[in-house]
Amino acid sequence: MSEKPIKGQAKEEHGKTKEGKKPAVHIFPEWCKGCGICVAFCPKQVLEMGRDQKAHVVHPEKCIECALCARRCPEFAVYVSGDHLKEGKKKNGGEK
Amino acid sequence: MPARLPYTYKYLRSKKKFPHVWCPGCGIGIVMGSIIRAIDSLGWELDDILMVSGIGCTSRMPVYVDFNTLHTTHGRALAFGTGAKMANPKLKVLAVMGDGDSMAIGGNHIIHAARRNIDITAIIVNNNNYGMTGGQFSPTTPQGAKTSTTPYGMIEPDFDVCKLTEAAGANFVARGDVYHVVELDGIIKSALSSSGFSVVEALSPCPTNFGRANRQGDAVNMMELLKNNTINIAQAAKLPKDKTEGKTVRGVFVNRDEIGYIERYQQLCDRVSSGVKK
Repeated sequence: MSEKPIKGQAKEEHGKTKEGKKPAVHIFPEWCKGCGICVAFCPKQVLEMGRDQKAHVVHPEKCIECALCARRCPEFAVYVSGDHLKEGKKKNGGEK
Repeated sequence: MPARLPYTYKYLRSKKKFPHVWCPGCGIGIVMGSIIRAIDSLGWELDDILMVSGIGCTSRMPVYVDFNTLHTTHGRALAFGTGAKMANPKLKVLAVMGDGDSMAIGGNHIIHAARRNIDITAIIVNNNNYGMTGGQFSPTTPQGAKTSTTPYGMIEPDFDVCKLTEAAGANFVARGDVYHVVELDGIIKSALSSSGFSVVEALSPCPTNFGRANRQGDAVNMMELLKNNTINIAQAAKLPKDKTEGKTVRGVFVNRDEIGYIERYQQLCDRVSSGVKK
């Protein structure tokens, strides 16, 4: 199966980007089932679906850390660094 | 995985049981996340919580969370939960049920749990059909909707979970949906912290069965439908009636502070043990 290259991609995502800024959004590809909810409802288009039918962090510099992707992920496969999911620190990134 | 794990993983049996069995795009995982965030913000100990469930897609939830869990027979989550609550009133009992589990097979249990007003939080994930067995119609399938057992459209009217439990006497009745997840977090938190019988109906998409039968598209389209076809109770009060027609109202419908079954039972015990005659 194509499991090995997917794991390799995950390592890249969790590392630093070209600008040296650590991405705020992390995807665990082992748990992602590719439903596309996080990609469709991200207010800043940070995420995109990859060829492997899993979500990928494409524009980490655009992330406003609203954590709506992590809240709406049914698979617990999205993690936004920091404590933004905790009450009081949440930023509502456009839930209408 | 990154070195610093998100705090939700504290509540999951993440090493053994993941990825979970639910279909891609199923909303039950979102409801489970909401429950975990609500419990985390309340700061409850994991050992003080009991999660009871029956049979069905939603009732797989206790498999994945690291509370005390009880996976029981179909529709009987509230019956087992009532027993556990009476045996140990300090437990915080959460009954997690689907729409078929709570409204059809366990229909009587939910009416009488609401009538007794026993201190249990019932979270009903409503995906409008029996997802696990192949998408048969349930009591909450909307009139006219197609399922595998109503191929020409459902002819029966559907149950309104909130009105039913409100009339039966529940202390807290609210409805949320998985698109408006921040609101759902808040609703579940206030349901958990209120005394007496609390009911939360969480509308959730079933893209594999209900969505396919009704040509509602994939999970993203079904989430869009939830976004467009629901309206907050505060907004609905401001708008004229013709603009809110056909939309499902979400929000807290009832929040009263009636005395519950545990307190009444304790009063009875005190009265009898103090030597009062019948």
